[in-house]
Amino acid sequence: MTTTETPATTAPAPTTSGRRLTTAKAMVEGIAQEMERDPSVFYLGEDVGAYGGIFSSTTGLLERFGPERVLDTPISESAFLGLAIGAAVEGMRPIAELMFVDFFGVCMDQLYNHMAKIHYESGGNVRVPMVVTTAVGGGYSDGAQHSQCLWGTFAHLPGMKIVVPSTPYDAKGLMTAAIRDDNPVVYMFHKGVMGLPWMAKNPRATAPVPEEAYEVPIGRAAVVREGHDATVVTVSLSVHHALDVAEELAGDGIDLEVVDLRSLKPLDRETVLTSVAKTGKLLVIDEDYLSYGLSGEIAATVAETDPGLLRSPVRRVAVPDVPIPYARPLEYAVLPTRDRIREAVHQLVRA
Amino acid sequence: MDDSLRLNLYRTMVLIRVFEEAILREYHADKRPAFDIGAGAVPGEMHLSAGQEPVAAGVCTHLTAEDAVTATHRPHHLAIAHGVSLEKMAAEIFGRETGLGRGRGGHMHLFDPDTHFSCSGIIAEGYPPALGQAFAFRRRGTDRIAVAVTGEGAANQGAFHESLNLAALWRLPVVFVVEDNDWGISVPRSASTCVTSNAIRAAGYDMPGERVEDNSVEAVYEAAGRAVARARAGEGPSLLEVHTLRMWGHFEGDAQAYRNDLEGVPGRDPIATYEHALRSAGVLDDGQVKTINEEAVARVEAAIDFAKNSPEPAPETATEYVFA
Amino acid sequence: MTEVLFPQLSDEDPDGEGVLATWFVDEGATVAGGDLIAEVMVEKVTGEVRAPASGAIHLTVSEDDVVRQRSVIATIF
Repeated sequence: MTTTETPATTAPAPTTSGRRLTTAKAMVEGIAQEMERDPSVFYLGEDVGAYGGIFSSTTGLLERFGPERVLDTPISESAFLGLAIGAAVEGMRPIAELMFVDFFGVCMDQLYNHMAKIHYESGGNVRVPMVVTTAVGGGYSDGAQHSQCLWGTFAHLPGMKIVVPSTPYDAKGLMTAAIRDDNPVVYMFHKGVMGLPWMAKNPRATAPVPEEAYEVPIGRAAVVREGHDATVVTVSLSVHHALDVAEELAGDGIDLEVVDLRSLKPLDRETVLTSVAKTGKLLVIDEDYLSYGLSGEIAATVAETDPGLLRSPVRRVAVPDVPIPYARPLEYAVLPTRDRIREAVHQLVRA
Repeated sequence: MDDSLRLNLYRTMVLIRVFEEAILREYHADKRPAFDIGAGAVPGEMHLSAGQEPVAAGVCTHLTAEDAVTATHRPHHLAIAHGVSLEKMAAEIFGRETGLGRGRGGHMHLFDPDTHFSCSGIIAEGYPPALGQAFAFRRRGTDRIAVAVTGEGAANQGAFHESLNLAALWRLPVVFVVEDNDWGISVPRSASTCVTSNAIRAAGYDMPGERVEDNSVEAVYEAAGRAVARARAGEGPSLLEVHTLRMWGHFEGDAQAYRNDLEGVPGRDPIATYEHALRSAGVLDDGQVKTINEEAVARVEAAIDFAKNSPEPAPETATEYVFA
Repeated sequence: MTEVLFPQLSDEDPDGEGVLATWFVDEGATVAGGDLIAEVMVEKVTGEVRAPASGAIHLTVSEDDVVRQRSVIATIF
């Protein structure tokens, strides 16, 4: 195993102005600054205009840029995602929103068979510089068809970059990077990290964000908390739960290192391996389904590089292979809650 | 219609047919004595367009290289009529490094940025990207258009209907073409489609619809001319259905046991029909027929030779070109 | 001293209550006029609150507090 030559980008210190935004507002600011800078950028999707996106992904953009740049579409995912592909092929930079990732079933062909494969099938002669934004995640009783994460499904398929911001800073930086990338990038934002007034939120959903435009590199994880007793690898809302548990357990003398993957494709395996080499213990928290997904990919990364890095077996806290239930006690039994994380950490450090 | 245009249409159709016959020959040459789909210099599925030349010639003659065309798993006739390089297309069909996709796409996945041509193996899914190309052209203030081609079977797929609605709603400069060759693989149109003509459906999507019944290249040319003019003038999309002819199987290796119209097929060959019409009109004589055919053969065989003499892609490069 | 008021987001129920959803500044922070300082909500309508003046801000309600529209949520000195 090689050591990382450059350290993973850690969470930055707040800017001098300390100006704070919610994740939603940071995402919007990233989009707005790129739309200002590059006239070929436009945003389309359902209810992204006057409504501002049902999870506030486009608030204010219609007023600022007008209906030529921010377009409400009919309920026709195949048509408008495909439209984005065609526009991208001709040199525009569309951002197309799939309202809920759970809706991918109605349009997945355009995404995985076209958007993701055109560059390869054309031997690199045709580029598809588009972004697909989509809301993921549960915890507010929206049921089996509106609460999924599904990043494992998307990351499994070749040809699409996948980014999953957990913080306002990363939300803006990854959006900027995604728009500027000449490849298709799927930008998956958890509803619970957006800082929406009408949904329970973690205090980390509001944080300092630089006013100027900046990129967070795609494909680089961040060590958001350094520690020595165990490595917690996770993404999205689970980063906040992991940090909450880490702060709590620090008082008990358990020192956790938390790795926020931020990108799933490309996946920063080096940062994971470096951390596991340091701690010898690995817990993966994944709000996607347990089997055949992200958590298995992280475990395999360690196992096929050097299983000797581990002093005890990998632990995974994920959603079991069941449809996400509606009733609150059931839903919270399957989500990777702080209780489940705490229990797993205790078992891990004792093992 | 002046004579030079008619000769052009004929010439285009002959070039397509000669190309398809050459691919047919090459495809089967090394799959004997028993058909093995994965064997030979051109392995995989092969969907040839003999009989559908009038659609390609009639529509694409109205286009420039700056207009976009999206096609299906049966794309060669449209690619040729739209001006895609025969050499690069042949090389891609043969899976060579010099092919349009460096051998990574194959015959159903031809992409040519020079002519804004693309095709897809997922039927009906070529319609949505055409909308986007049209959107980009119009957004830039040009009168460039996108032509989206699919089959009558695909006109029952969701993406078809979504695309018609959205193109009409946003007045996109698209010409939707439906090639009704009677058969969705083995299922006749009467068993798949609730209407007798997709031109009827056009009205349901607030756009003009025409159906050309007799696979006549001149009728296609005239109808396509109307649709193209509308699109260029900013009047929005149109739908053109052509009742055309699939002379051979859905794919090579298709025994077509389900097909009850095979006896009539040779008599419906559109090139023979048009050649006869042009001869009768004094536009074409034996000498011209011979010359046109020889020129087509020369061009096609040169392209096939180019393909066969091109290197195969190196296995160690298999994971390259996923991302830019 | 300038008072910062919870905006009136509901015309049908101008005295109705809403929620202070998010503070973007800390107690005692220096704000400039126009800075985004809070996000509030009445029923399902959200609104942004921007600083009406510059100075040091004193917060008089907390996040998640139920607040009547047009009442004072902070003062700026």
